[in-house]
Amino acid sequence: MSASIEITNVTKHYGALSVLDDISLSIKAGEFVVFLGPSGCGKSTLLRMIAGLEDVTAGTISVADRRVDTLPPGKRGVAMVFQSYALYPHMTVAQNMSFGLENIGLPKPEIERRVSQAAATLEIAHLLDRKPAKLSGGQRQRVAIGRAIVKEPKAFLFDEPLSNLDAALRGRTRLELAQLHARLGSTMIFVTHDQVEAMTLADRIVIMHNRKIEQIGTPMEIYRRPASRFVAGFVGSPAMNFVPLTSVTSNGGTINIGTSGLGDIHAAFHLPSGFSPDGASLGIRAEDVTVLPAGQTGIALKAEVVERLGDRTLIYGHLSDGTKLTAETDGRSEARGGDTLQIALDTTAIHLFDAAGTAHHSEGD
Amino acid sequence: MSMDQTTYRPEALTGNRTLLTIAIILSIVMMAPVAWLVGLSIKDNKELMLGTESVFELPYTLANYVNILYSSQVFGWFFNSLVVAIGQTAGVLILASLAGYAFARLEFPFRRTIFVIVLFGLAVPEQAVIIARHQMFNWFGLHNSYLGLMLPGLSSAFGVFLMTQFFKAIPKEIDEAALLDNASTLRIFWKVLLPLTLPAQATLGIFTFLHAWNDYWWPLISATRKEMFTLTIGIASSQTNFAQSEGLGFLSAQAVFASLPVLIVYVIFQRHIVTAVSGGAVK
Repeated sequence: MSASIEITNVTKHYGALSVLDDISLSIKAGEFVVFLGPSGCGKSTLLRMIAGLEDVTAGTISVADRRVDTLPPGKRGVAMVFQSYALYPHMTVAQNMSFGLENIGLPKPEIERRVSQAAATLEIAHLLDRKPAKLSGGQRQRVAIGRAIVKEPKAFLFDEPLSNLDAALRGRTRLELAQLHARLGSTMIFVTHDQVEAMTLADRIVIMHNRKIEQIGTPMEIYRRPASRFVAGFVGSPAMNFVPLTSVTSNGGTINIGTSGLGDIHAAFHLPSGFSPDGASLGIRAEDVTVLPAGQTGIALKAEVVERLGDRTLIYGHLSDGTKLTAETDGRSEARGGDTLQIALDTTAIHLFDAAGTAHHSEGD
Repeated sequence: MSMDQTTYRPEALTGNRTLLTIAIILSIVMMAPVAWLVGLSIKDNKELMLGTESVFELPYTLANYVNILYSSQVFGWFFNSLVVAIGQTAGVLILASLAGYAFARLEFPFRRTIFVIVLFGLAVPEQAVIIARHQMFNWFGLHNSYLGLMLPGLSSAFGVFLMTQFFKAIPKEIDEAALLDNASTLRIFWKVLLPLTLPAQATLGIFTFLHAWNDYWWPLISATRKEMFTLTIGIASSQTNFAQSEGLGFLSAQAVFASLPVLIVYVIFQRHIVTAVSGGAVK
């Protein structure tokens, strides 16, 4: 069973402190939506408001077309997996999973059926008689998910559930969550500050920043066409390069972009009239900066640090005017710190950000 | 087999020996009166009248313990102590748990102020309020009753403080998970949080029981009829003269008998007491 979730003009204040400001969002039934943002952006608060663990100062929240923001958490038809798992330490795994079902008065055989079915799905059937203290982090995580599954909720809410796992287990659990979503087809909302989790799990990512939604889109939309300089800088590793503009002149369908570090660049753009280079910047991802073979001339990049990641090499350096820039090249690169490399830009992958941070994308992207 | 070298450093060994010596001396200081009491309890009263040094000489006898069975009111006092100690322990656990939960988890007006007022109870010595309390209990006719003996001990500021801190130490996500599991506030308290406070309950229960069992002052004031005496008052009343030259063996046997429940409680709950004293209870 899955349900749509409608968040309409939701605001949250703690006294005079504003935490969320006029948030509106529609989540389709069966969709996997990830709230992504830096610490303190309000993403966990929004999730907790959907769960009913925080009051809504203004606005409404509906689950399956039923307004729920006035209902207690247990009546909203949602299940939540906490960052700390929040398993009941004195109860066995089976008791942890059945507690919520006992509270709604389900008959015992039905409780047993659901618990054993969820335990089989999550491969924790052999752990049912153990207490949480006797489980590993990954097993606790599964039990927490199992406790949510047995309730057969209209939506699953995950509050940074992978952050307490080690890197290898995090990767595996991420994959299992994706498989679980595919199998259950449930609506899932997942809060994280880890962009890899967001990119790999989400049907749509909701980027939150400074109490507001910055952008909603599919992972590739967010990555390729960020709505703002914040999104461009936040999503992607290494972060997008930003180079200050000195001038912008229109030339028919193309524009001339003046920069002090990269020189003049011609690119196909439709910029709004009145676009000013003051405070504006050019953005380009490291993978769209090509390191030219020896003998070819391009833009000079003085390498400072070279990171070899095996399949690719990241070169952190600076341009002639001192602007920092990162380039990505293949894993066999022999570049070293101190080398001066020649680079070229993929002008179809350029983004321009005005002084307010609003993004404009090249025609080719 | 590898050995942890740091454990066997000579200076560490010397330190351990010093500590051990101090512990042995302190144990002797603590245990000597107990051994003396047990020694007296197995000596004939007439022999002890001539001098207590006979405790180191044969013969020994269990006659004093047999006499408790036939000629002492100690069973009645024992029962009274048991009722008061168990009643007070149960009462303190219930009240302190409820109050601790309320202070730790519920939002209500003047919560912090009320908590401070409760904690102020830790600073008020019993002697300061005893006359007023005696007067009140007199008005309500509570003297010489179990309720009268138990009631003052129920207002345990320490208990409320301990339980509040313990409830606070439980992550709020546990409550929230239970809320999402559709549990009512009462069910969350009873089925989820209260079982998690068992270590604190054990600590508080043991200390309350021991305090109630050993309490001398309030029963001395409140219980004036011999049949309502607790063990501490009853045994004290058995003293026949100031020097206690008569019936010393019998008195000692009664004291040993009176200590048995405390010893049993200690043996059973030793682990919790050690945890409580070492400060590891609130975790």
